[in-house]
Amino acid sequence: MKKLFLCAIMLFSLGVSAQSQYEKGMEKAFSFWKEGKITEASNLFERIANAEKKNWIPAYYVAYVNIISSFGIKDEAALQAKLDKAKLHLDKADELSSNNPEIMIMQALRNTAFIAFDGQKYGMSLSMKNSEIFAKAIELAPNNPRVILQKAEWDMGSAQFFGKPIEPYCKDIKRALELAEKEDQKENFEPSWGKSRAEQVLKQSCSK
Amino acid sequence: MKNLFFLIIIFFSFQIIAQQQINGIVTDSKGNPIFGANVYLDGTYDGSSTDEKGVFSFQSSEKGIQTLVISFISFEEKRITGNISTFKDIKIKLKEDVNTLDAVIINAGTFEAGDNAKVTALKPLDVVTTASALGDFVGALQTLPGTATVAEDGRLFVRGGAAEETQIFIDGMRVFTPFTPTANNIPTRGRFSPFLFKGISFSTGGYSAEYGQALSSVLSLSTIDEPIQEKTDVALMTVGVGVGNTQKWDKGSFSINTSYINLAPYLEVFPDRNTWNKPIQAASGEMVYRHKLKEDGLIKLYGAFSYTDFNLIQQDINFENGFRFGLQNRNLYFNGSYNGFLKNNWTLSSGFSISNDNNHINLGDDLVKNAESAAHIKMKLKKRFSNRFKLFFGAEYFLTDFNEEFISTTNGSSSLRFQNSISGVFTEADIFFSKKLATKLGVRMEHSELLNQTTVSPRASIAYKSGDNSQFSIAYGQFYQNPLTNYVKFDNGLKAENATHWIANYQYVKNKQILRIEAYYKDYNNLIKFDTDQATIYSNYNNNGFGSAKGVDLFWRDNKNIKNIDYWISYSFLDTERDFRNYPTAATPNFASKHNFSLVTKHWVEKWKSQLGFSYSFASGRSYTDPNQAGFLNQQTKSYNSISFNWAYLISQQKILYFSINNVLGTKNVFGYNYANQPNMNGVFERQAIVPNADQFFFVGFFWTISDDKKSNQLDSL
Repeated sequence: MKKLFLCAIMLFSLGVSAQSQYEKGMEKAFSFWKEGKITEASNLFERIANAEKKNWIPAYYVAYVNIISSFGIKDEAALQAKLDKAKLHLDKADELSSNNPEIMIMQALRNTAFIAFDGQKYGMSLSMKNSEIFAKAIELAPNNPRVILQKAEWDMGSAQFFGKPIEPYCKDIKRALELAEKEDQKENFEPSWGKSRAEQVLKQSCSK
Repeated sequence: MKNLFFLIIIFFSFQIIAQQQINGIVTDSKGNPIFGANVYLDGTYDGSSTDEKGVFSFQSSEKGIQTLVISFISFEEKRITGNISTFKDIKIKLKEDVNTLDAVIINAGTFEAGDNAKVTALKPLDVVTTASALGDFVGALQTLPGTATVAEDGRLFVRGGAAEETQIFIDGMRVFTPFTPTANNIPTRGRFSPFLFKGISFSTGGYSAEYGQALSSVLSLSTIDEPIQEKTDVALMTVGVGVGNTQKWDKGSFSINTSYINLAPYLEVFPDRNTWNKPIQAASGEMVYRHKLKEDGLIKLYGAFSYTDFNLIQQDINFENGFRFGLQNRNLYFNGSYNGFLKNNWTLSSGFSISNDNNHINLGDDLVKNAESAAHIKMKLKKRFSNRFKLFFGAEYFLTDFNEEFISTTNGSSSLRFQNSISGVFTEADIFFSKKLATKLGVRMEHSELLNQTTVSPRASIAYKSGDNSQFSIAYGQFYQNPLTNYVKFDNGLKAENATHWIANYQYVKNKQILRIEAYYKDYNNLIKFDTDQATIYSNYNNNGFGSAKGVDLFWRDNKNIKNIDYWISYSFLDTERDFRNYPTAATPNFASKHNFSLVTKHWVEKWKSQLGFSYSFASGRSYTDPNQAGFLNQQTKSYNSISFNWAYLISQQKILYFSINNVLGTKNVFGYNYANQPNMNGVFERQAIVPNADQFFFVGFFWTISDDKKSNQLDSL
């Protein structure tokens, strides 16, 4: 009985320490990211993804860090290498959690990074892909603030290009902001970004 | 309880005691430290990033045999398995990943376009927005160096080679009759619409051992693996209508594209130099069915059908009332391919293609009926031993059945038939010695049953990256091709024609700018000769022809220095002579011009939602024989000039208005001269200039795409 009890305690404490290791690791990675230590953040997320073989979230963040930091890169080889890495981890995340709108819109963001680099080369094929991704994601998660925000930003871009009114998309972004504010505290570091981006877009494009 | 507490204490302290220090240094192959490499024990949280000096150090409580993983972007991941206690002060050298964009590319001779290409000379959109191309693949390729402007023909003449020396492949399978048939002086077009393809690889020499039966050039097209969305396309044009549709489902998709072209209304408004009994009428359709299998396998079926019909009278100096030419052509093409991944990095690609081409040709009062059925089967296995060493080998089989009936009002009738089969095996290895040095070595063996001949063609190329943006490459290859049907049908004692290519290439790529300089030497042997004016059943044939071609091709593309303008410049210098066909002596053939130049620009005008395209092509004069003077191919025409312009206007996201005009200035170009068979009363052979049927061509089209997202348009199919 005593032994059993001991075993239970040990198992429990192991469990707790594993859990906290994940949390500690993720928090550390986020703090690297905040400090601008992109490589360290990406590396740590990658190590966590490698240890947590069944969790899509760290892999998602490896992709996220690499995609966000690829905007503005001038060297195509460097861009491609970063986005290849992002793709590898997005595929991993997708395998662990298929039809996940969060992962889908990250794929769209990766495409956008390519288009931003060379619209002529990548614009035609990838922008069609993005339209398809957004259509599917909004169907799966009509009330996800990040999906609404990303889709609205995307549509806004093409509306601006064709000189069409952007007001309907401003409405969507406002809605995304409201949903983001109401969003429950996510467990396990599930994606919860979007609030500040929505505020920024509203200020930039919709305040006129 | 006390005991338990103790145990826990002991347990924790044991853990602390058991911590192992893991440390070392990570460098590249030259010993330069790598900053930011990820070093960790596989499957654990234990790890760290290297610092500026490449140094890493971390603690782990793991025990026994572990795997240490070292990874860094653009380098090959390294895994070291061993007892954790040995992971101390280790020196790790990472090898550069050769699979990156900045690695050397073996590219002598080849232009790539499409998503997978590392350096794209042509982008997917270019094929369809090049002003002079009129939406034809081949037309766009004619703005690249190495090709000659032979505007009355429309096919690809590469580096002094005749049009027949270029072969076209779709998804690796041969297309036997890639061009729509036309009358003299009316340029042909490729049968396939650019709509269904995602990539093009155009090789002007030194190509892979995978391809045979082409002396000069190989154009390889790949169809789209997975269309992006369901949609319907409608095209209304001055010359006809087109409809396309794509359907998608979970495991596959289906695309169909059909068109009907009738030139009658156009010719009514802009008559040309011919008398049309029946203006060109063509119906065609293409479809692709794709099915995804488990484990990334993919089956693609491609089918194309076309029917062309016309009848006209063309002026001819030897026929007082002109020469009547009529043609009905029916063409069926079907191609299937399978691509799949096997175990242990093996890939299998296999496929087949069959074609059936039927012609009904009126030549004056005579009638020629012919039919060619052909098939191609191919299987290729590829093994990736590592990123640095890949090997493929395969086998293929071609079968051709040709029959022809000649019904003459004066000479009676005749008919003939022949069958030919060619079997081939090939193998090729891709070897990367480093990110800077790579080579490709291959060999191909073919056996032709009809000619009873076996040929062996080695191919080799090597490339060296000399700087961050520049590289050199050279290529060598032997190429064999069976003589044309036109000759083999009369004599089957002939042998295959042969060409040897030597190519040296320099390429500089930086920030949306490409400079490419290529010099080549081509040596032709065993070309077919015959001893009459035309190839007939009464001619004597032999393999004693020969020739050579040497030249320099220049290509410059820039999408950076002028705002909103993308342009490219091609220049080709060609020096060629050959003694073949009915030539009495070696001479520069009439399809070759010494200098070819093209300039293509694209200008996006935001304010007008329009893309304006402009292209200029120039070719120096071509040779012709003036029977009033001594010698063979003794004269030269004046040079060729043509300026084309197009304008694509986006009415809304899914509606495009397209306008184009070829030869804006209406330059009167002359391709050569036809001389009378008999001299006139003064003993002079009179002549007639060979000129285009019409100096200019206008095109207006409205393209409408209907899809759920209301975004895509047909800009990529124009």
